[in-house]
Amino acid sequence: MFAVFKRELRAYFSSPIGYVVIGMFLFMSGIFFAASNLLGASPEYNGLLSTMAFIFLFLVPILTMRLLTEETRQHTDQMLITSPLSVTAIVVGKYLAAVAVYLITLLVTVLYPAMMSFFALLGLEWWKILGGYIGLFLLGASFIAVGLFFSSLTESQIVAAVATYTALLLMWIIDALTSMVPTGWLYGLGLVVIAAAALALIVWLSTRSIPATVATAVLLGAAIAVVAVLKQFLYEGLVAKVMAWFSLLKRYEDFNLGILGLSPVVYYLSFSAAFVFLTVRMIERKRWM
Amino acid sequence: MIQVENVSKRYGQRIAVDKLTFTVNQGEILGFLGPNGAGKSTTMNIITGYLSATEGSVKVDGHDILEEPHEVKQRIGYMPELPPLYPDMTVQDYLGFAAEIKGVTRAARAKAVDRAMEMLQLADVRGRLVKNLSKGYKQRVGVAQALVANPPVLILDEPTIGLDPQQIIETRALIRSLGREHTVVLSSHILPEIAAVCDRVLIINRGRIVASDTTANLSRGLSGESRLALRVAGPESEVLERLRSVANVHKVQSLGSREAGTVDVTVEAPPAHDIRRPIFEALAKAGYPILSMRSQDLTLEEIFLNLITRETEED
Repeated sequence: MFAVFKRELRAYFSSPIGYVVIGMFLFMSGIFFAASNLLGASPEYNGLLSTMAFIFLFLVPILTMRLLTEETRQHTDQMLITSPLSVTAIVVGKYLAAVAVYLITLLVTVLYPAMMSFFALLGLEWWKILGGYIGLFLLGASFIAVGLFFSSLTESQIVAAVATYTALLLMWIIDALTSMVPTGWLYGLGLVVIAAAALALIVWLSTRSIPATVATAVLLGAAIAVVAVLKQFLYEGLVAKVMAWFSLLKRYEDFNLGILGLSPVVYYLSFSAAFVFLTVRMIERKRWM
Repeated sequence: MIQVENVSKRYGQRIAVDKLTFTVNQGEILGFLGPNGAGKSTTMNIITGYLSATEGSVKVDGHDILEEPHEVKQRIGYMPELPPLYPDMTVQDYLGFAAEIKGVTRAARAKAVDRAMEMLQLADVRGRLVKNLSKGYKQRVGVAQALVANPPVLILDEPTIGLDPQQIIETRALIRSLGREHTVVLSSHILPEIAAVCDRVLIINRGRIVASDTTANLSRGLSGESRLALRVAGPESEVLERLRSVANVHKVQSLGSREAGTVDVTVEAPPAHDIRRPIFEALAKAGYPILSMRSQDLTLEEIFLNLITRETEED
């Protein structure tokens, strides 16, 4: 894993990508820093951190688009997969390399509050800033996991980048969308039925056995029906609830206020782990196709 | 060392590899021969664990590729059809990385890289970026990558493609010397290469094995006859008549006259009988001197075409 990590990290800096991403990030965040904190003479730093999250959203696809697409294109995936390394070690090594580039960028921006501290008469709220940074780091790491996943789906960097943009922007505005979706229990039921059908389809595709598929469908159908009769209220507002699972931004608000809660940390870590896991599955699945 | 049993690979309806069964013994050099798209690369990808077979099992040194992938992958060095290279790395860094992922310890790594570079004569390009190398060098870096960790089994998919004749000869010599300690499987569609390097040949067409034997046996077994080409000084009709009267001769065919006063003939006989001496005696008695006599066993090229076309006709 460490070998892949090292190679990937070096690749970022032996190609323009590492410099472009870090440079763009610092340039844009520098403009905002100068405008709001220096010229605006404001000691409030965490507002800038949320802006940085938005800037980074636009740079993530550039950072992640080549992670796995390049391996396929250069046929180096054949060397990696036929080596004694496990697919998990390969994917995690690559993921951590992208996260490391992000971390380096964030560390450079620590210069901003350091600069401010010379001028803040009342001192800075360092703990609040630290909390904000931890949140920003976890949020960015989740973005990177999404980008990593999309780079495993295609051989084209452009497709991977565009798909990542779309997914991240969707997750960004998902809070606004949740207020628009209908909350009736029938919509919730519909969503569950679609999910059950998708699960049955997955069973069919992976086993090709009719009894197993029918059994899955019948079991899930029965469970859905029972819940619909006994606990109908569970379906109310379900669509919005499910969408809220993907709202990365909502969990970030606490960090921004300087609150370091356990549950958002666990949320971001498991969100990243889920996408890394999905990436591993995607690569392992390719062998069987 | 390698046991492949009933391995099939299907892509939807298309069958790429159809129930292949063969074994490769320790220290043997096995050649895969077949036209493009015959399933050579797919088979190699299955043995190395890059692809999974739809059916069947592959064992390397007693370890199943699906059950103990780690054990198998540690024993194999694989050079795929297109060399798996990182263009932005130097040759030395790249080989160091290859050694590292293949589990060569830090202490042994520099030595392993040097050894691989020496074997493939890459020392003078060690500091160059892979993307700036010529095709032949890239190919050799790909081979170096496969053997950097000194694995007992080497799987080389078309190792000499893109090399110039001098490099081809060197690479063949290298493979032959590797064959003393390693088990080697290599594929090629260049027939003389297989004949020059391999102990045994496996001819594959449309995912199936059509022949498996040593190069010498294949050549003898397939023709069904041993053939001689003669140039005899004498009148055509007389010479043909004399030859037909020799015991065990099946077929005599005149190829016309290419040199004044002589005739070129081919003579076929069952492989069990050596007819060279009786022919000499018959013609000597008649006073027609033999100017040349060559054995005309089939070349690998002819066997190959023969098998492939025969297969196609049967379908």
